[in-house]
Order: sequence, then structure tokens, then C-alpha cells
Amino acid sequence: MNAVPHLSWYLALSAVLFTIGVVGVIIKRNVISMFMCIELMLNAVNLTFVAFSSYFRDVTGQLFVFIVMTVAAAEAAVGLGIIIAIFRNRESLDVDDANVLKL
Amino acid sequence: MFLSLAFQIAIPDPNVNVGLILPELIVGGVGVIVMLVDAFARPTQRWITGGLSLAGLGAAAAASVWMWLNWAGNPPRGFHDMIVLDELRLSFTLIFLFVSALTILISMVWVENEKLPAGEFHSLLLFATTGMMLMASGNDLVIIFLGLEILSIATYVMAGFRRTDLRSNESSLKYFILGSFSSAFLLYGIALIYGATTTTTGFPGTTNITAIAARLDIARYPALLFAGAAMMLVGFGFKIATAPFHVWTPDVYEGAPTPVTAFMAAGPKAAGFASFLRVFIFGFPFVAAAGWAAKANAAWVSAMIVLAIITMTVGNIVAIVQNNVKRMLAYSSIAHAGYALVGFIAAGAATDLDTRNSALAAVAFYMLTYSVMNLGAFAIVTLIARRNDRRTEVEDYNGIGFRAPALSFTLSIFLLSLLGLPLTAGFMGKVMVFSVALKEGFYALVVVAVLNTAVSAYYYLRLIIVMFFRERTTPWSAPRVPASVALAIIITVIGVFYLGLFPNKVIDAFQKKPVTAQALR
Repeated sequence: MNAVPHLSWYLALSAVLFTIGVVGVIIKRNVISMFMCIELMLNAVNLTFVAFSSYFRDVTGQLFVFIVMTVAAAEAAVGLGIIIAIFRNRESLDVDDANVLKL
Repeated sequence: MFLSLAFQIAIPDPNVNVGLILPELIVGGVGVIVMLVDAFARPTQRWITGGLSLAGLGAAAAASVWMWLNWAGNPPRGFHDMIVLDELRLSFTLIFLFVSALTILISMVWVENEKLPAGEFHSLLLFATTGMMLMASGNDLVIIFLGLEILSIATYVMAGFRRTDLRSNESSLKYFILGSFSSAFLLYGIALIYGATTTTTGFPGTTNITAIAARLDIARYPALLFAGAAMMLVGFGFKIATAPFHVWTPDVYEGAPTPVTAFMAAGPKAAGFASFLRVFIFGFPFVAAAGWAAKANAAWVSAMIVLAIITMTVGNIVAIVQNNVKRMLAYSSIAHAGYALVGFIAAGAATDLDTRNSALAAVAFYMLTYSVMNLGAFAIVTLIARRNDRRTEVEDYNGIGFRAPALSFTLSIFLLSLLGLPLTAGFMGKVMVFSVALKEGFYALVVVAVLNTAVSAYYYLRLIIVMFFRERTTPWSAPRVPASVALAIIITVIGVFYLGLFPNKVIDAFQKKPVTAQALR
């Protein structure tokens, strides 16, 4: 009768997505891929919010998701701008090439 | 089954109280006006946008002081307690406005020399300031997150402001990637806290910090509570640059244009501390009765002790081997975050409200002293670096002591203050945070901090020795000091000695009323 999966499935899925994002940011060398992994992390968080929000019938979590999406869009605009600036000066998007400053 | 039931959405009264966010509104509004003025002014008219920005910051400071004087005893409420008015917020707000105003003074002539768009720079700075102020005034994780993002996005752009310079590009890219990475951690922490604070009695989760504190013992998922707090600790740890989350700091500080570095080392760090304090001191406060609340508090305090020790040690030891002045100051800023954490720990473990308030005031005071001396030091580093930040290596400071005595002498004052020499602001700030920690019985922690201060003497004094006692073989002429930068340096020198000699007034103001006078919901 109850076809809706239990809350813990949603939480587990979002934890897995978040971890994939974290690992991706760490191992990927291309800036665009790293950026996509960060977006994946944000969307994993959104899934957590929506799951809690829907399960406990409270809108706060869903409002939070809207705010996160807006912020992510603003961040994408700035991030892509930075990436274009780098590409113009260097013609490469590999972070290993970004080594003027020693780590 | 749950989903089949309709959401019960009652649209509540928005509970608007404009007076409560007056300083934020002023700064944000002036930021927009500056942008418009810039569109119509000629590109070199920095005085218009700069002066307008300074006027806006001054008006916001006046509004904050007015709020402080009028509402100190009985703060108004509004926005469903998403915005709070207390001494912690107001003291940090004034610190941010001060930092921002000094950054404008330092950068006013610089933007023109570097042929950068002044109006854009000033409006971005004002937006960043709005974000910082929201971080201090938010009593809800939503507001803190929004403030953090407003600040971060503006700062990413400022770090990459020198568009054609590879170092600036790279600094901006690293800041952007690691900044949004850490924001995602913070956000995941918020989501978990929101879920965890659902009560067993049927109340849905909350993101209001006072409500979180009240829910800790009746939370439905205590395990998620710990996971969420840990995630938020990581997120804030990145923002205030505590080791082991500090790796971005030296690169970003070195590559960003020097006035922007001055701003980043003082402003966003203080803002990070403001919301870090707000979330952890008020959201997971000390509770005497055994239960999840007490366990959560004990857990974060002990995690923070480890962080503080690693941060101080790593910052100071790595600073020793740096050959670039901006990198050295970056590691020094990591070490200073560690010292401020000592006061933070004392505030978190404080068993009574008075001690907690004085510890909070000590951390705010520490951030103020750090901002003053750091901005002063970076103002001089900006001058010596010349165009395009060409001269930032320690060798570039060889023997300049007697060729530009005034500059070298003031830089030495700031370095000695960063070291913590008595009579300077840095000494007073350290005394404040260490004494509250001693009062709480963190003897080992204070010993580590004092030993670290001794280590830091090496690299601060080294620069002074390089300036005054090394021979210079290459030609060098003293940089011209523009009036606005001279004003900024004079203000910071006065600040260093005022806070070092007469700190009582500021400390009293920061903790005059119980900082924590918030009614539980």
C-alpha cells in the first residue's frame, strides 16, 4: 500500500551523491568537471532538504532548496566567468597547469 | 501515506521590522547606487564612487551605533527571529564597516594606478560587506548561509580583479573552487541539522539557532545532529582558515591583489568567526544536565581544541620558511585564527553566562585588533609592492629601513603588534583571549598558544631585521604615499596604540549588556 520509500533511502542516496561529489572535486583535474562535482554536492544537499521536508510535512526545507538553487546559479555565473578569464590567459583548464603560485 | 496528505501551509505574517536590518539595507543600497553612478561617471572618477562608498559605510556605522544606544537593554524583534540584535552582532558589524572603510582608503588610488574599474571594485566591496553583516546578524541558518554566499561570491570576483594577471586568475580560481566546496559542506551540515531537530513529539525540523538549542535534547535523530555539527565545523573551518582546512589560504592571499588580500585576511575571517560563534555558542551551548545537548557541546569543544592546536602550530611553523611577505602574512593569519579559537573554546565551555559573555567579547576584540594591525601591515605591503604586485618577496625589503624610514618604522610597529608586544593592540587581544581560557582551566591550550607566540617572533622579527640591517645592492626609491593611504596608516597606528593602551572602553562596550539576552522560543 505504501509505495513511498522510507526516508532513510533518500538520505542514503544523497549521502552517496555528496560523497561522489567530494571525491570528484578531489581527483578531477579539469576545472569544469570539478565545478560540476560541486554542483552535484549542492544537489545532494537539496535532496536531503526535500526528503526531510516532504517526510515531516514542513515547507522550511523546500524554501531552503529554492535559496540554494538561486545561490548556485549566481555562483555558476561567477565561476564560469573566472574560468573564461583563466582560459583566455592560459589556454588550459587543467588545474595542474595552474601553478604560478606554489602550493 | 504521509505524502498523500496535503501540506498544511499557512502563510504567516512576514513580521517585517525594517529598523532591525537598517545597516545592512544602507550598505546594500549604497552598493547599488555606486554601481549606477559608475555607469554614468567617467572611468577615472574614483573619488565619486569611493567617497560615496565611504559615506554609505559611515551612515551604516551611525545606524549601528544608534541601534546600540537605543535598543541595548530591550532589543526589538522581527522577521520571526531570523535576525537578532545583540552586542555580538553590533560589535562585529562595526568591525566589518571599519575594515571595509579602510580597504577603500587603501585601494582608492591603487585601483587607478592599476587601471582597474574603481566603481565595480567599490560596489563589490560594499556587497561583500553586506554579506558579512548578514552573517553576524543572522539567527537562522538560512540567513547565515545567504550572507556567506553574498560575501563569498563578491570576494571571488575581487580576488580575480586583475583580469590579465595569471596570479590573480589562479588565486580567484582556487578561492572559488575551495570556497564553494566548503559552502557545500556547510550546507550539508545545515540540512542534517534541519532533519535531526525534528522532535519526537511531532514538530518538524528547524533552522533557527535558538530553536535548535532548545531541541537538542528532544531531537529525533541525535546521530544526525552530530554529523551535521561536524559538517558545519568543516565548512566554517575552511572559511576562517583553520588547519587542516587552510591549504587554500597562502595561494589565494599571495595571488590576489594586495588591497584585496588585506580585506580578505581581516573581513571574511572576522565574519566567519561571527557566524561560527553564533551557530556553535548559541546553537550548541553548554548544558549542565546530562543529555544529547551536553554531549554535543563536549564533542565540538574537544574537536575545536585539536583544531586550535594544529592551526596555531602549522600556521607559525610554516610561516618561518616563507620567502614571500604575502604568504608569510597568510600563514600568520592562520596562526591568528588559532589564537582566536582559544577564546572561542573558552566561550563554548563556559559554565555561566558572565564568563561566556566576556569570552565572546574577547574573541570580538581579538578580531578587531587583528583587523587593525593586519590592514595597516597590508597597506604598507601594497605601497612597497608597486604596480602589479611585483615586489612582495622578503629580498625586496632588504635595507629599505633607512631609505623609507617612516614606512619601515610603521610596518615594524604592525609586525610587533602582530607578534604581541606589550603596549600594542596585539598584546591586549592575546591577553584577553588567553585570560578567559585560563579562567576556564584550559592551561595546556594556553601554554601551547604562548609557545607558538614565541615561535612567531622569528618570522616577524626577521622582516624587521631584513629592513633595517641588510645591505641593499640594487637601486630602490621610496614609494610615493598617497593621502588616502597615509590616512589609513595613521588610523591603524592610532588604533594599534589605542587598543593596546586603553582597551577597557571597547571591551566594556562589546559585553556591556549580556550578549546572550535572547529569549528562547
